[in-house]
Amino acid sequence: MPTVRLRDASEYPGPVQKLFEAAKAWFNHDFAQPPAMSRVMAWDTELGAFHGRAMKRAMTPGEFTRAEKEMVAAVVSGVNACAY
Amino acid sequence: MSDDALWYEAALLVGLTNALNVVADAPLAVLEPAQPAPAAEVVFAEIRACYERADVPSPFRRVAADPGYLADLWGATRRAFTDHHLGRQLKEALAFAVSVTTRSQFGTAFHLGEMRRLGVGEGGVMEVLGVTQMFSSYTKIADTLQLEPDMSAIAPVDWSPAPGGTPPPPKPLAPEAP
Repeated sequence: MPTVRLRDASEYPGPVQKLFEAAKAWFNHDFAQPPAMSRVMAWDTELGAFHGRAMKRAMTPGEFTRAEKEMVAAVVSGVNACAY
Repeated sequence: MSDDALWYEAALLVGLTNALNVVADAPLAVLEPAQPAPAAEVVFAEIRACYERADVPSPFRRVAADPGYLADLWGATRRAFTDHHLGRQLKEALAFAVSVTTRSQFGTAFHLGEMRRLGVGEGGVMEVLGVTQMFSSYTKIADTLQLEPDMSAIAPVDWSPAPGGTPPPPKPLAPEAP
């Protein structure tokens, strides 16, 4: 159970809706609500923008493909024992 | 990467990586110095050949007093890191990410060396570090707020059988409404 109330996407201001649309495109999935992490990062749009750009740069295909990087991310999440 | 085989393979690799790291990084100097049994030399030769190096990595030397155990540990390690569904470069990248995340000095240096030996450039190393760092951030944010998984719908279920096994029987249909 989250320790905070996750706001519905509709509670966020207009500019943030564009970020949510970008998240849909990034995951290529039509979520009923943006992922909880997207809604958390949107709480502080300045931090969220920096963090999101850094994440996208890190995940962009280079020597490793996006899929390979997703596996690295999953492994890191696993050893951090993060269920999310 | 929806095929479960890839994820089974990755998980087994993570386990073996951690197994080697915990022994290598533990303060085992309080134990008697590891004295390899003569029979361990055969396994040592395989390890040196596999990694193309003159020395034997410390987690293998540490357990070499029991050559049978060493041989099985090495067999499992070799299998985990061999090209299969996942390639060796990616496997070393995963092991490097695990080692950085678990703060393993041995694992970080060892798998960084292996990545470079296998041709991963500095850009590739930075990519793995970046992903490791970003997801070390996301995971702690998620844990702090105790977020619940909400993206499982992205990953389709893989119904293929276990290796050498048979497919699962079809699920019985729900009885029709009268």
